[in-house]
Amino acid sequence: MIEILSDTALATVQDLGRTGALNWGVGTSGAMDPLALAAGNLLLGNPAGAAAIEIQVFPFLVRFTEPCAFALTGADCAARLDDRPLLPWWSGAATAGQTLRLGLPTGTTWRASRAYLCVAGGIDVPDVLGSRSTQLRGAFGGHEGRALRQGDHLRTGTAAARITGFGAMPPALALPLERGGLPAIRVLPSAEYARYTAASRAAFWAEPWRITPQSDRYGYRLAGPTLTPEAPIELRSHGIVPGVIQVPHGGQPIVQMRDAQPSGGYPKIGTIIEADLWRLGQAPIGSRFHFIETDWTSALAARDANEAWLAGLDRLAGLHRMRSAAR
Amino acid sequence: MTLSAPDIARLSAWLAETDLAELELRGPGCHLRLRLRQDAGHVTPIAEPVTLHSVTSPSVGVFLPAHPLHDTLLAPAGTLVEAGQPVALLRIGALLLPVTAPVPGIVAEILATSGATVGYGTPLVALHPVAE
Repeated sequence: MIEILSDTALATVQDLGRTGALNWGVGTSGAMDPLALAAGNLLLGNPAGAAAIEIQVFPFLVRFTEPCAFALTGADCAARLDDRPLLPWWSGAATAGQTLRLGLPTGTTWRASRAYLCVAGGIDVPDVLGSRSTQLRGAFGGHEGRALRQGDHLRTGTAAARITGFGAMPPALALPLERGGLPAIRVLPSAEYARYTAASRAAFWAEPWRITPQSDRYGYRLAGPTLTPEAPIELRSHGIVPGVIQVPHGGQPIVQMRDAQPSGGYPKIGTIIEADLWRLGQAPIGSRFHFIETDWTSALAARDANEAWLAGLDRLAGLHRMRSAAR
Repeated sequence: MTLSAPDIARLSAWLAETDLAELELRGPGCHLRLRLRQDAGHVTPIAEPVTLHSVTSPSVGVFLPAHPLHDTLLAPAGTLVEAGQPVALLRIGALLLPVTAPVPGIVAEILATSGATVGYGTPLVALHPVAE
């Protein structure tokens, strides 16, 4: 069991998401940085999609009530197990009674905003519609369908001893993407793209976008050049997915994120490719980035690159655990 | 590099003839410091030659004395480390492995270059062992 010690808002149990339920009006939820969640699980020998805790407000403290192998990925939070500092993107082993503390994210070579605490066997919460992710809007999934609170006790899957004490290369460094010194995110132009003025379309790619404070797991409101359609666009509500970039009347876009509702009526200028959603999921409020135009083939290649990186980590971590166990 | 007692005596004599206050020699497996005592005008060795412990690479990989997300070294020279504590990292593809101190000690020198590809057994960090 792990006990939540801090009175921290907005930490939730997440996995890789509840896919396949959009037709029932159930959004996907899931980790804002699925690569970090998967990497933490693979370090521990868990399935990549085991449930973990997503932390986005710091400091965050938990106590292990029994021995537990764990991994921390995502934002570098200068974590400590009791008094001992832990490296970022690293696995460790806690004894019963030890406290894990995550401080404010620090960003020397990569600025990120969400950390993931993975545990051996995963966080043991019920599977609902094929996922353990917290669905906040519907108040189901995860731990009692809500964000974690001080005093919550979470069961972990298994207490079996694991080889720990090694880590993963952060994908932000292994799979970097930037333009003009700013992080970059690849976008497919979507249904209403061609209905925006040529100047708006050019500015969409050329100008940096800033993540405003009105940004959370539901969506990111961006600030940048005003996007103007050639003529007013009125649409009926239609299905949308995380990554869709909508443009409300003010001309400042909203990116739908993991907790997005499954339908909307604003015009869509683009869709962030699935392989790059983690980059935006980690981008801190106030930071700036560029959109890069891509196409279907490149989007699939980017997804394959992410999967190849995870497969490489899985294979090498497995070999390392095997070799260490044999020693 | 090995140094015998007569070597140290000869070095002490040379030092006494110069206007240097201190002489420090460092090499593989040896660390010697001689300091001129101001009052007596003669030289006393303040450190016996010691055997430095080489921390070697556990695998083929890319040597990283700092975590890739950090700009500070895990264990710069002078750091007191416990046995089992990581003193550097080795990157193998997507994996980061610790290079751990086999014995407690003080880091004397980082021997390999950051970002260099190293082989199994390559000396990476020199450690001055200390009693537990």
